Amino acid sequence: MFQHEFMQNALFVSVLIGVMCPCIGIFLVIRKYSMIGDTLSHASLAGVAGALFLGQAPIAGAFVFTSLCGILIEYLRKKIKNTDLVLSVVLALCVGFAVTIMSTGKLKANASSFLFGSVLTVTRADTIGTLVLTAIAVLVIILLHDKLLYISFDEKAARVAGVKTALLGYVFIILVACAVSVAIRVVGVLVISSMISLPVATAIQLRRGFVITFVSSILFSVFDAVAGLVIAYRLDVAPSGVTALVSVATLFLVIAARALYSLKRAKK
Amino acid sequence: MAEPILTITDLWYGYSAKSYILRGISLTVLRGEYVSIAGENGCGKSTFLKLILGFLKPQRGSITCTASRVGYVQQKTDYSGDEYPITVLEMLTSYCGICRVPKSEAMESLAMTGLELQRNSLLGDLSGGQLQKALISRALIGSPELVILDEPSTGIDNASSKEIYGILRGLSRERGVTVLTVEHNMLAAIENSSAMFHIAQGHGHICTPENYVKEYLGK
Repeated sequence: MFQHEFMQNALFVSVLIGVMCPCIGIFLVIRKYSMIGDTLSHASLAGVAGALFLGQAPIAGAFVFTSLCGILIEYLRKKIKNTDLVLSVVLALCVGFAVTIMSTGKLKANASSFLFGSVLTVTRADTIGTLVLTAIAVLVIILLHDKLLYISFDEKAARVAGVKTALLGYVFIILVACAVSVAIRVVGVLVISSMISLPVATAIQLRRGFVITFVSSILFSVFDAVAGLVIAYRLDVAPSGVTALVSVATLFLVIAARALYSLKRAKK
Repeated sequence: MAEPILTITDLWYGYSAKSYILRGISLTVLRGEYVSIAGENGCGKSTFLKLILGFLKPQRGSITCTASRVGYVQQKTDYSGDEYPITVLEMLTSYCGICRVPKSEAMESLAMTGLELQRNSLLGDLSGGQLQKALISRALIGSPELVILDEPSTGIDNASSKEIYGILRGLSRERGVTVLTVEHNMLAAIENSSAMFHIAQGHGHICTPENYVKEYLGK
C-alpha cells in the first residue's frame, strides 16, 4: 500500500503528528489541561470557518483564532480559578462562533472536511508545514522542558525560582494552538484531542518517571497513528476515527497488561 | 550582630477595598534566624507569606529581601494522582535546570534530607513525610540563604515531623540558613525557633519562644 505517493505522504505526516502531539500533550496532562485539546480544536474549526467566510487560507485562520482562544484561556485562568469552567466558557464561544458562521451558507469552501481530517489527501505543502512545526515543537520542548515541567506541575515553585511563568504559559499555549491548527487538517477536529492525551495516558500506566513516560508516549502515539492509517486503508474508512479507536485499544491493553503484571507479582 | 535578610516595613494588605487583613505590619529577620509565624486561622499568615514571596503586591509599605536565592516549600501538596509521572530525582534535576545550577546538586540536597534511597520513586508513591523531605530537598537547591515553609508538618506523622524539624533546625544552626515558617504546630515552633512572630487583628508582634508561651499560650 505504501507504493502510492498519497500513502507515503500520509505515513510521513502521521508519524510527525504522532511525535508532535504527545510532546505537548504530556505537559497538558500534567497541568490537568487534557481537555484544552478539545477546546482548541473547536477554536480551530471556528478559525477555519471564519477564514473560509472571508475567503482566506483556512489554516492561517485556524492558527490566528486558536492562538487568540489560547491566550484567552490563559487570561481567564487567572480570573476564574477553575480550569474546567474556563475551558467550557471558551468551548462555548468557539462552537457558537463556528456554528453561526457555518450556518450562514456563505462559506467559500466546505469546512466540514476539517471535522474528520483527511490524511490521505495531504499535499506536499501540508507535509512540509507539519515537518517544520514538529521540529519547532521538539526544539521548544528540548530547550524549555525543565521550565515547562515546572509551570505544569508546580507553578509557585517555578515563580519563586525566577521563571516568568505567565510569559512561558502564553508561549506554550501558542505552541499548542499552532500544533492543533496544523493537525486538524490531517486528523480532524473530533480526533485531535485524543491524539494529544491518549498516548500520554497510556504511557502513564507504565508508572515510570517523566523521561520514560515522555519517550513511551511518543512511541505509543506513532504506533497508534500508523496502525490507524494501515487499518483504515484496509477497511476503506476514515483514518482519524480508526486512530482514535486504536489509541483507546492500546490504552486498555496496557492497563490489562499492568493488571496482569501486578497480579503475578502479588502471587510471587 | 547579624545583618537583616528580610525587612518588612508598615505592610498593609486587604482583599477588598473596605477592610485590611494586614494593618501596618513590620518585621526584621536576621541572617541565620529561625522565625515561626503564628496566629489564629484567617489572621493573615498565608497572605503575609504570599506578600513576602511576591505572589501578592503590598498595598502599602515595603518588603526588602537581600537573600541571593530563596527556597520555598508550600503547604501540603497532593501529587498522588496518575498525572504526575515524575520521580523525586527528576523533580530535583529539573529544578536545578531552572535555577541554572549543576544537576549534581540534586543528589547533594537529597543527602541533606536523607532521601537518597527514594530518588527513583514517583512523587505519588511517597509518604507524606517523604514528600515533604523531597520538597525541602528541592528548596535547598542552589544554596538558598532564606528558606520559607508554609506549615511544614501539616498531615505528617509525629516521627516524620520530628525529622523535618531536625533538618530545619540544622539548616539554621549549622549552616546559617535563615528559616521562616508559617506554623500551626506550636510545640514544634516553640522548640525549634529562635523567634516567634504572632499575627492577630492585622498586627504583628515578635518575641522569643519563651515569651510567646507566657503571652499567648499561657492565657
